[in-house]
Amino acid sequence: MYIRSLSIFTDQYNQYQVITGEIERIVTDSGIKNGVVTVQTKHTTTGVTVNESLECLESDIDDFLKRLVPEDHPYAHARMLKDYGSTAGNPTGHIKALITGNHCHFPIIDGEVVRGGAQEVYFCEFDGPSERMVLVYIQEG
Amino acid sequence: MFIDMHVHPDFYLSINEDEERLNFRHRVMNIHKNGTPPLKHIFNQMNCAGLDKLCLLPQDYTTVEGGATVTNEEIKKIVDQAPDRFIGFASVDPFDPEAVERLEMAFTDLGLLGLKLNPGKQKYYPTDGVLNPIYDLCEKYDKPIIFHSGLSWEPGTLSKYCRPVEFEELADGRPKLRICLAHFGWPWVQETAMLMVKYPNVYADTAILYFDNAKEFYTQVFTKDIPSTWIDRSLRHQVMFGSDNPRFEQIRMAEALTQLGFRESTLELIRGKNALEFLGCSL
Repeated sequence: MYIRSLSIFTDQYNQYQVITGEIERIVTDSGIKNGVVTVQTKHTTTGVTVNESLECLESDIDDFLKRLVPEDHPYAHARMLKDYGSTAGNPTGHIKALITGNHCHFPIIDGEVVRGGAQEVYFCEFDGPSERMVLVYIQEG
Repeated sequence: MFIDMHVHPDFYLSINEDEERLNFRHRVMNIHKNGTPPLKHIFNQMNCAGLDKLCLLPQDYTTVEGGATVTNEEIKKIVDQAPDRFIGFASVDPFDPEAVERLEMAFTDLGLLGLKLNPGKQKYYPTDGVLNPIYDLCEKYDKPIIFHSGLSWEPGTLSKYCRPVEFEELADGRPKLRICLAHFGWPWVQETAMLMVKYPNVYADTAILYFDNAKEFYTQVFTKDIPSTWIDRSLRHQVMFGSDNPRFEQIRMAEALTQLGFRESTLELIRGKNALEFLGCSL
C-alpha cells in the first residue's frame, strides 16, 4: 500500500476545491503502473466527490445542499460536547458530508488514473475555514 | 472595525512547539480534540467572521496550576507576528509576590493593553485586598480589566467567585477603572445588566454559547433573559463582541449578533466602538 496525505487550507465556510492534479501527481510519484487509487478525507464535516468542474455546477450543488440541509433548523447536534469542552455547531457540515460521501476510487492502468473526460475529484469543505487532511492510498494489483 | 474582545490563543501553532505545554493547555483549559492552527488559519477564520482584530487573553494560574496557560511574553510574541490583527492583554497571579512588578512590565516593556483575571479559578473575590495594588496599577496606567464572570468550563473553577454582584463594590469604589464582566456573567445576565445600567465603567462581552446553537442561545439570552431593548436602548455603549474562541464558534456568533434586532448603530458599537472606548486607545 502506497499512502500519501494532502494538506488543504480552506478559507470559506463551504468550499469546493478540485484536487485531481494532486491525486495524479501522487500516482505518478508512486511508480505504480496498475492498481486502484482511493481518495479519502480524514474529517467528518468534509466530503470527497466526483463531478464536472464548472462554476455553474458548483453553484447548483452548493445551493442544493443548502436547501436540503438549512442552517436554520433545530438540530440536536447543537450543544456543549464535554469531551471537546466546546460547542458543537456544525451539524450541517456532518449531514452534507453524509450526502457527498467521504471518498472515491479510480483504476490505474499503465500509470494513468482512468477517469471520464468530465470527471474531476472535489474536496468539499462544509465547516471551514480549516486545515484539512486528505489521504491518497494506492493498492497495486 | 470589528473586534473579538475574548480570544484565547492557547493552541496557536507558534507557541506550541513543546508537547508538554500543549498537554498542559488542553488540561487546564478543558479544551480537547482541537488542532494547533497556524496564523494562516486564524486569518481565514477572521475573514469569514468579518473580524478585523482579536484581543488575545492569557491566564496566569501559577498558584493553582503551577504556570500560565499562555504567558505575557507569549502574547507579546503572537502580537508581534501580526500587530495589525492582534491586541494583547496581560495576566498575573494575584498571589504572586511579584505580581505588581510583572504587570507593570507587561504594560510598559511588553506594551500589553489590559489585564485578564479569573477569580473563579484561583478562588478569590474581586474585593480581596490582595488585588488592591493591581487595581491601583491599572488605574495608574489607565488599563482595563477583563474578569471572567459567571460559569467557567475550566476544571477547578467555582462560579460563586465570579457572580456579577460580587463586582459591584469594585465598580462603585473605583469608578475610573473600566472592568468587563466576560461571558455577560451568564447565567446571571440580569445581574450583569443591573451593574451596567448603574455603573458606566462596567462592560460585558458576548462570549457565551453554553446551550443550543449561536443564534438560538443569543436569542434566548439577549431577547428573552434580558429584552433586546435593554441593550439597544440603555446598555449599547457597554457591550462588546467576544467569542471565547476556541471554545465557542467565532463565525456563527458574529453572524448571530446581527439577528437580534439591534439597530445598526448599536451593532457598530458592539462590534468595535465600545471596545475602543474600553481599551482607552484608538489602536
